[in-house]
Amino acid sequence: MLVSQIDMITPSSLSECLNQLSKAGRKHKLIAGGTDAAVRMKEGKWRPEIWINIKNLKELRYIEEREDFIHIGPLTTHTDMIQSQLLQRKADVLVEAAREVGATQMQNMGTIGGNIGTASPAGDTLPALYVLGAMLELTSLTNKRTLPIEEFFTGPGRTVLKENEMITKILIKPQKPNGLGIFQKLGPRKAQSISIVNVAISLTMDNDRKCAEGKIAFGSVAPTIIRARKCESMLTLGQLNEELIQNIAKIAWKEVMPISDGRATATYRRDMASALLERGLYRLIRRWENQ
Amino acid sequence: MNTKWVGKRVQRIDGPEKVTGELKYMTDYHFDNMVWGKVLRSEYPHAKIKSIDIEAAKNLPGVICVLTHKDIPGFNGFGIVVPDQPVLCSDIVRCTGDAVALAAAETLEIAEQALTLIKVDYEPLEVVADAEYALTDSAPKLHPDGNLHSHVKIKNGNIEEAFEEADIIVENTFFSPRQMHAFIETEGGWGVMDEEGFLTIRCPGQYAYRDRMQIARSLAYNPERIRVISSPIGGAFGGKDEITVQIYLALLAMHTNGRPVKIHLSREESVIAGIKRHPFKVKMKTAAKKDGTLVANQVTAIGDTGAYASLGGAVIALAIEHSCGPYKIPNVDLEGFCVYTNNGIAGAFRGFGVNQVCMGIETHMDMIAEKLGMNPIELRKKNVYHQGEVSSVGHIVKSSVGTYKTLETAENCDLWKNREKYKSEVSEPWKKRGVSLATSFHGIGMGIGLPDYGAATIELLPDGKFLVGVGCEEIGGGNSTVYAQIAAEMLNCDISNIMIVQGDTQRTLDGGTVTASRSTYTGGRAVAAAAPKMTELLIQTAAEMLNLQASRIDIRPNHIAADGQIIPYKSIHKYLYDHHQSARVEGHFYLPKEKEEIKGSGGAPHHLYGYLTHVVMVEVDTLTGETDVLRVVSIPDAGKVMNPQGLEGQAEGGAVMGIGYTLFEDVLIENGYHKTRNFTDYIIPTIRETPLIETFPVEKPEQSGPFGAKGIGEVVMIPIIAAIMSAICDATGARIFHLPATPERVFNALKDLKKQKVQSAR
Ligand SMILES: Cc1cc2nc3c(=O)[nH]c(=O)nc-3n(C[C@H](O)[C@H](O)[C@H](O)COP(=O)(O)OP(=O)(O)OC[C@H]3O[C@@H](n4cnc5c(N)ncnc54)[C@H](O)[C@@H]3O)c2cc1C
Repeated sequence: MLVSQIDMITPSSLSECLNQLSKAGRKHKLIAGGTDAAVRMKEGKWRPEIWINIKNLKELRYIEEREDFIHIGPLTTHTDMIQSQLLQRKADVLVEAAREVGATQMQNMGTIGGNIGTASPAGDTLPALYVLGAMLELTSLTNKRTLPIEEFFTGPGRTVLKENEMITKILIKPQKPNGLGIFQKLGPRKAQSISIVNVAISLTMDNDRKCAEGKIAFGSVAPTIIRARKCESMLTLGQLNEELIQNIAKIAWKEVMPISDGRATATYRRDMASALLERGLYRLIRRWENQ
Repeated sequence: MNTKWVGKRVQRIDGPEKVTGELKYMTDYHFDNMVWGKVLRSEYPHAKIKSIDIEAAKNLPGVICVLTHKDIPGFNGFGIVVPDQPVLCSDIVRCTGDAVALAAAETLEIAEQALTLIKVDYEPLEVVADAEYALTDSAPKLHPDGNLHSHVKIKNGNIEEAFEEADIIVENTFFSPRQMHAFIETEGGWGVMDEEGFLTIRCPGQYAYRDRMQIARSLAYNPERIRVISSPIGGAFGGKDEITVQIYLALLAMHTNGRPVKIHLSREESVIAGIKRHPFKVKMKTAAKKDGTLVANQVTAIGDTGAYASLGGAVIALAIEHSCGPYKIPNVDLEGFCVYTNNGIAGAFRGFGVNQVCMGIETHMDMIAEKLGMNPIELRKKNVYHQGEVSSVGHIVKSSVGTYKTLETAENCDLWKNREKYKSEVSEPWKKRGVSLATSFHGIGMGIGLPDYGAATIELLPDGKFLVGVGCEEIGGGNSTVYAQIAAEMLNCDISNIMIVQGDTQRTLDGGTVTASRSTYTGGRAVAAAAPKMTELLIQTAAEMLNLQASRIDIRPNHIAADGQIIPYKSIHKYLYDHHQSARVEGHFYLPKEKEEIKGSGGAPHHLYGYLTHVVMVEVDTLTGETDVLRVVSIPDAGKVMNPQGLEGQAEGGAVMGIGYTLFEDVLIENGYHKTRNFTDYIIPTIRETPLIETFPVEKPEQSGPFGAKGIGEVVMIPIIAAIMSAICDATGARIFHLPATPERVFNALKDLKKQKVQSAR
């Protein structure tokens, strides 16, 4: 498929979009901010017959708290999330992750739906969504299903999304008043870089330095995001002092299954899983104590 | 000297149009009747071409022409020194950047498609992936004379004896990366041939006249019938010194029926086909006495020039000339090898070989200082050569030498004086800070054996303004502003009355390259040589017009005064025009050279050098190995500073480029194939990696330069490399010998250090 042969249609409503998606017998693909799509089109990797341009579907761009969940529309940009007071208060880990996506230009254009849709193991918002217990609503013309984010990804660039479906909502659990989170990223430089390793941590604190519950998710160290359950179970063992933090960090490498590539070796990635977790916990505790 | 323009913070004359985007670079242009050209690159890093079939490509609708080596009327080769690179390969391909065929078509997409329809039958050959392996007998020969392109050797004194008598010896091996120029404007341009067969090539380059010569040679065409326009340039840094696409444009333009043809490399193609900085392996052994006196230095440098020579021989020669730093070491044995491999192509790049050796000698200076418990500045001060003294390569340095002064300035700068305080102010407990410095130098001009001259014209225009023409292109460094300053100063007029034209074989004289840190110095001197002739012309003409003696004529700002009368320059132009007299003058300048070449050195020594000391502070995250450069002090000896603002621009840009070289950048090639594709994986510093950079020039005026200026376009990026390496060590105790110092390399060095400590504790 040549780029000049690709068509683009721009539905004006969600139902029109779902209608388009339901048309069989053709290769189509959604394009939101296009920050992944345009790059992959140029590389020759994504060459559908038709781009379905959803960038202007305003009805899918929102951040709201309803009942027990925060609802995020898939067309919410990273900048929207960074600026959202609701997320700053109740999902700081997601705000931090959004802040690490590319740089300002990418944050203005790129959407959370696109970050999920690309399904890169290095996608920065994904570990944050994991520790916030995210659920994804997938909709087709005739059906709607909601599933935990863990069940969405099947490998790098691979998901359970069907040809006729799209992500229509992301649901996350708000942090409790004594909850706080952090996102740590190691890239080859500070901005415009793909994560070598990243980690999201979300803690609910008891008192002092005692943690009641915590979640940890690593990115870029396996085909999909990895929850570090062994480390999580150690979080509640006692006061989160330097010794415990180091002990938790020490076993992080066991939880991950990284590969070597041009950006880093597997050994370094393993070491960095520990390092980022250690650094993240130090920073979190300091933040907690300063609150 | 009291000056009005020279030495002042004059705003860049090309600034507004560049920052607003109003300026069109040559690759920005589109024409209604244009066609697109594309280059078919080799599939293999090393292979025999058995056949090339272009039929299918030619028959694709929308294709205008498809060309191979058979369509080259003249010599099928280019290269600044040895033209060993085929324009279009006919028998062997030696790297994946090699060009095999050209296509022109109605659209870029059709041209790209046409390339996929060209069938080239290759027989893959063994790939030479390593420079040291290339030098062994078992490696296949990439060129008829073998894989050693050039060899230089400088030997002075008695190295064996000196090592024996030395109190302290340090010996290490240094590896440096294949840096990419990463200019914003990738290689590209335009070619068009008119009905009469006159060929115009608009293509950013660093020496229009030499580009024209190389085009003419391949086309077997009269160079007078070719016009090359090579300025302005969207960045080059040496990467457009060699031919990029000029000859392809010329060949295609001969087959497009007078329609303009454009080639503009994608970033991916530029990564593969564009020249890069030579990766070096440098073995160095340096010896000193207990009091810090350097007594011996032994260096073996192997540079990987890739498939073709380009300027590789000169790069190795310059590296060896600079391999002992700006010091006087009596016993040296310095040897350099420039080696062919199948790893892309390496060539000119800001610093030109000096970067790769500076990191060696300056690291050794710090290691010696540490071992002797000596202050690193004291050690350097003790060993630097001064004007009139003998350098390590054995020549008397007659031109100005500012190293000592730059070291004094470093010693007294806030960052160095208060370094212990700054180092203690780490932002988080697991981070460590280090402050270090390094010094270096860089030859200005071509060295011995190559012509080195400048030429400029000044023309009085009908509106009374002056048009200054200099061959040296505006590469982005700001030389146009310097030329305008010099002209305004000497013609006693406002700078707004000076127009500049550069890099155009039709409108400027041959004045040599914009490389080798030479264009301010050489072009500036040429303008300074032309200006008095213009003054003379103005005075003589006015005298003639007024029927007065020349001594009665006064040059005032922007006009002439005599006997109470005022003559605007407009009237002078009109008078000259009416009397069929030329309103244009020329100035010429020959760059001073040393008389005697150092035996075996390949062109050393230079007559002139620019000097610079960098002080840096880094912060290392010991958990991850990330290094953050927090502060840089750049202390250049540029001779007289022509424009402080321009100097700061160079100092800051150079520092950031040096940070990139030290911490991030490397084009990775495995078995002849590029692993690095584009800016996704080629990491250059962004504004967030850009620290506070202060520039404190010391002015050691150089008598031969325009108003006392020298050049600093390259040295601004050199010592910072070694300074960062040492600052990492100062912070953490870990020394890095392999650049770039990525977080992974630093982390592993820290890990090794921990292991050593544990072992020695046992
Ligand atoms: C220079 C640069 C830097 C970058 N840096 C980072 C970084 O640091 N971290 C990071 O994580 N990413 C980074 N990215 C990648 C990209 O910006 C993000 O993944 C972004 O969130 C993608 O969003 P988008 O709206 O642009 O997606 P698009 O490119 O429009 O789409 C991406 C994919 O998602 C699908 N999709 C989009 N919306 C939906 C939907 N509602 N339902 C189902 N599928 C959908 C599309 O079909 C497509 O397959 C970078 C990209 C660039 C170009």
